[in-house]
Amino acid sequence: MAEPMELLCWGGDWDLPSVHTDSLIVLAYAKFSGAKLAVKSIDWTWRTITASVPQLHYEASTVTEPTQILNFLRKQRFNADYELTAKQGADTMAYIALLEEKLRPALLHTFWVDADNYANLTRPWFTSHSPFPLNFFVPGRQASLALSRILLTKAESPLLNITEVEGKIYSEAKECLNLLSHRLGNFHFFFGDTPTSLDAFVFGHIAPLIKAPLPSGQLQKHLNQLDNLCQFCNTILKNYFNASAEKRTDCSPTAIHDPVDANLQKLTQLVNKESNLIEKMDDNLRSSPQHRPHRH
Amino acid sequence: MSLAAEAFVSQIAEDQILLSDSASSLAVQTFLRMCGLPVQVSCCANAEYMSPSGKVPFIHVGNQVVSELGPIVQFIKAKGHSLSDGLDDVQRAEMKAYMELVNNMLLTAELYIQWCDDYTATEISRPRYSSPYSWPLNHILAYQKQWEVRRKMNAIGWSGKNLEQVYEDVSQCCQALSQRLGTQPYFFNKQPTELDALVFGHLFTILTTQLTNDELAEKVKSYTNLLSFCHRIEQTYFKEHDRESQSGSSRHSKGSLP
Repeated sequence: MAEPMELLCWGGDWDLPSVHTDSLIVLAYAKFSGAKLAVKSIDWTWRTITASVPQLHYEASTVTEPTQILNFLRKQRFNADYELTAKQGADTMAYIALLEEKLRPALLHTFWVDADNYANLTRPWFTSHSPFPLNFFVPGRQASLALSRILLTKAESPLLNITEVEGKIYSEAKECLNLLSHRLGNFHFFFGDTPTSLDAFVFGHIAPLIKAPLPSGQLQKHLNQLDNLCQFCNTILKNYFNASAEKRTDCSPTAIHDPVDANLQKLTQLVNKESNLIEKMDDNLRSSPQHRPHRH
Repeated sequence: MSLAAEAFVSQIAEDQILLSDSASSLAVQTFLRMCGLPVQVSCCANAEYMSPSGKVPFIHVGNQVVSELGPIVQFIKAKGHSLSDGLDDVQRAEMKAYMELVNNMLLTAELYIQWCDDYTATEISRPRYSSPYSWPLNHILAYQKQWEVRRKMNAIGWSGKNLEQVYEDVSQCCQALSQRLGTQPYFFNKQPTELDALVFGHLFTILTTQLTNDELAEKVKSYTNLLSFCHRIEQTYFKEHDRESQSGSSRHSKGSLP
């Protein structure tokens, strides 16, 4: 390349190169495929409200949307997927669809709609990273976009109320995380030993959930119990985003070194395990057939 | 059979139904037939309003009403019939992922083509959707539905796409399905699962529905193993049960099963 490709994305925090899911996907894929990107963060610029992030600029052409950007990078011969078989390529598409359908609404809800998280974490962060006077508008706009997306795609009558939709989307998200955990198993990455675009997508979705200090995060607690996914996320951060890894001294997902908090965390995990077991028993009881199952 | 009563699949009437609803309805019928359960299809113009979630099709068993393929599969499982019990956890994850792919890509593309493409919307979708109603209700309902679908497309980012890109997405989705299917008879080797029912429902409807142009059907036809998959399922589950009613190449078979 004569000149480097330029990527516009949201800035980083909480040990992550970016706090925005779509930006993380592109950054991770660029690292996996060896593409050199000049990363420009849009924090404190007017682009926070005008640009659709992430955005790739190269030789007067502009590409947005993670899937389009990944396609563009592949055409520029930065391909992290060339070792995949056709079936694995098909699996990638399917799992990405699963992430978008099942996990994304719950992520949007956790960060933008849940009152606790929005007021104490998301809004202050985005407000402090936007220039005056945009800091009044940017978080609110993102929040209303998130809410309308959730309601339009997930809330059909009689679930018109957001609280009823919440139950549905969180249970689907937990199921999705469990499925991803089963699929990952004990491997480092989803398809063998080298990361691919699917790894980038999964990383982009779960990394903010693992690292953000959310005041009320039931999905985060659920995710923390899935050790292989946490390990997956930390491996990628350590191997591909070295600068952030140096700041961390231990492997605890919330990066708080207070021993009191560590004990509280262990206690919470135990309680969650108990409640998960109870939920599973309940589910088993509910779904047990009323008559003996018949095979044809 | 351990299901106490027959399942009635309710859907919209033959000349009112649109591509996407017809595909979902066929998927449910196929699934029930794969489970070996007796199915009767009944059509009514206001099926959408009768359904508990506002979507067709829905099944009506005894005094319970369940709509949409996902909840129907779980309901049937609770009654003791399941097609995916033989799958291990990883395979079940794959199956769910592929079902989401079909829903995300094929169903959304069908909705886009029906309602966001102006030509198709004017020529086919709006007249069909509003056919049982008289003026001015037909205009109001048709435009309301179109507005709803366009809002949803906007929210998920599909409104910026043009028709060519949508056809391209359908083609990629079919390619993924074709590669996953390979040379096997069903997606998970010997036994059909709900994924097979869903894929059959959508592909068969796309192949047999007349739209303003044939490009969608052509995209599907270019994958021969998907074509033979559709034929195989049609032969196995629909032809042998269509004794009294019209020939098996009709979109919905209306005969009741013994």
